[in-house]
Amino acid sequence: MSVVLNRGEKGRRRTARPGWTLFALVSHTVRMQLRGVIIWGAALGLYSAAMVASFTAIEGSADQLNQLMEAYPKGMLEAFGVTDLGDPANYLHSQVFGLAPLALSFFPILALANALAGAEERGTIDVLLGNPLPRWQLVAGTFVAVAVSLLGICAIVGLLTWGTAVLTGVELSLREVAEAVLNLWPICIMFGALALLCSAFFHRRSLAIAIPAFLLFGMYLIDTIGRASEDLEDWRPLSVFYYYGSAIENGMDWAHFGSITLVALALLLLATLVFRRRDIYT
Amino acid sequence: MSLAIETEKLTKAYGRKARGIEDVDLAVEEGEVFGFLGPNGAGKTTTVRTLLGFLRPTGGRGQVFGLDIRKDSVEIRARVGNLPGEFTLEDKMTGEGLLKFFARLRGVRDLRYAHEISERLGAELHRPMRRLSRGNKQKIGLVQAMFHRPPLLMLDEPTGGLDPLVQEEFLDIIEEVRDEGRTVFFSSHNLAEVERVCDRVGIIRGGRLAAVETTETLIDKSFRHVVLTFAEDVDPKPFAALSGVRDLRGGGKRISFTLYDNLDEMVKLAAGHRLVNMEYERPSLEEVFLTYYEREDGEVR
Repeated sequence: MSVVLNRGEKGRRRTARPGWTLFALVSHTVRMQLRGVIIWGAALGLYSAAMVASFTAIEGSADQLNQLMEAYPKGMLEAFGVTDLGDPANYLHSQVFGLAPLALSFFPILALANALAGAEERGTIDVLLGNPLPRWQLVAGTFVAVAVSLLGICAIVGLLTWGTAVLTGVELSLREVAEAVLNLWPICIMFGALALLCSAFFHRRSLAIAIPAFLLFGMYLIDTIGRASEDLEDWRPLSVFYYYGSAIENGMDWAHFGSITLVALALLLLATLVFRRRDIYT
Repeated sequence: MSLAIETEKLTKAYGRKARGIEDVDLAVEEGEVFGFLGPNGAGKTTTVRTLLGFLRPTGGRGQVFGLDIRKDSVEIRARVGNLPGEFTLEDKMTGEGLLKFFARLRGVRDLRYAHEISERLGAELHRPMRRLSRGNKQKIGLVQAMFHRPPLLMLDEPTGGLDPLVQEEFLDIIEEVRDEGRTVFFSSHNLAEVERVCDRVGIIRGGRLAAVETTETLIDKSFRHVVLTFAEDVDPKPFAALSGVRDLRGGGKRISFTLYDNLDEMVKLAAGHRLVNMEYERPSLEEVFLTYYEREDGEVR
């Protein structure tokens, strides 16, 4: 089959519309991450479900446990968000949702560090960018795909948590659980966006993982120690965990939710600008 | 004839340690098969990656179908099918999944041509990349570069890892691409392949374009490795004395040398003895480069 091209065909090559290429990239990336979403969702969700189930065991002896807790330094209890172990919301915050960002942030960090620097190291980026895909779309599309996948993980965690509460008769409303898992999203995606920026800047996947991971644990420590020590309390606003709060107990703080999301978007914008201007190495 | 690729003093510097390309002036006409040749590290891949917008040029200018490589990279890539030198894909992807994804990115709905060339090359589209041999991955790389019938194909070592039958099929496809009026720009170390399909070749060395020649001229400039085996002992000195003979080795019944020219006299001299066998080998392209450059530099020959 032979088709001779004329000049017009060479000059006006039909391509997918820009919005369509972005959609194609996002849907493809989400599909590629599906297994990861299920594994992460199941692992965190089952842990959370186990904590809900364990609450039924301590529910009857909550008063004794709270008395026992009073023997601990007040600062230490505050550091870990323990106020009333007889309250399932407080129990779940101290056992699950207060710590969950430390683990769940690694999903977007790993995925977004892989997107640019990882693809350069593996040599796969030339094949992908051999297509008429603008660089900004590669950055933004991957970010959106990871953000959607992260929502999927949160949904699985929420369903397993709430489902277990219903089955075991623990008093947790769907709204409380939904707000708790949704509150994980901005803080985790913010560290993912930082990984994306590092990935755009350094060409090296290891640095794109190490820097956000270091900041993640550093900020967690600042906030945790700041709760326990008055000397370090002034440092807490420097940590994103200060704004994370406890949505399962106090409801969602939409201002903080929006602010952290805006920081993530600012990091995304920076990553896009950096990646647009730099060489791609393989 | 209009130009598919045109560069003027195109330069890409990586810094002090690594060499890029310098002042590359290249003109590839539409509809020709252009071989881009050079030793490893000469700047072939840097040139291609700069033309595609993966690397930012540090000097000069370049155009693909009249589109600026700095400003119109996306439009250029819409018109180009690219096979990188080190073709790698995500391990869990299959060739079919890759083609469907790339078809969506390019707005291609009809995959019949993709399946036709996959069949011709024997590409296994339904196995994950991690289970494919290098040759089978390369076939998928070729299919993804060609399936959308781009006006320009940029192929870096396209036949690496392919068995001879598939190489032959690929070269047939390249000839069909030329017949359709499309352009092919490819780098290769395989002289026979270059000789068969390329209309012209550009030779790059040390980041600079050393020459652009027709393929015939390049082959004429090359030499041959000769091994002569005689029935009885032969004095090698008359052979060594022939102009065009270099690096003569051996003696007695078997002598070998490199012949740059003067084939006629060498054959006549050998015919004066009882010749049992004569091996007359093409050199590798790398060797041709060395000879070519040495001639250009006026060092020897």
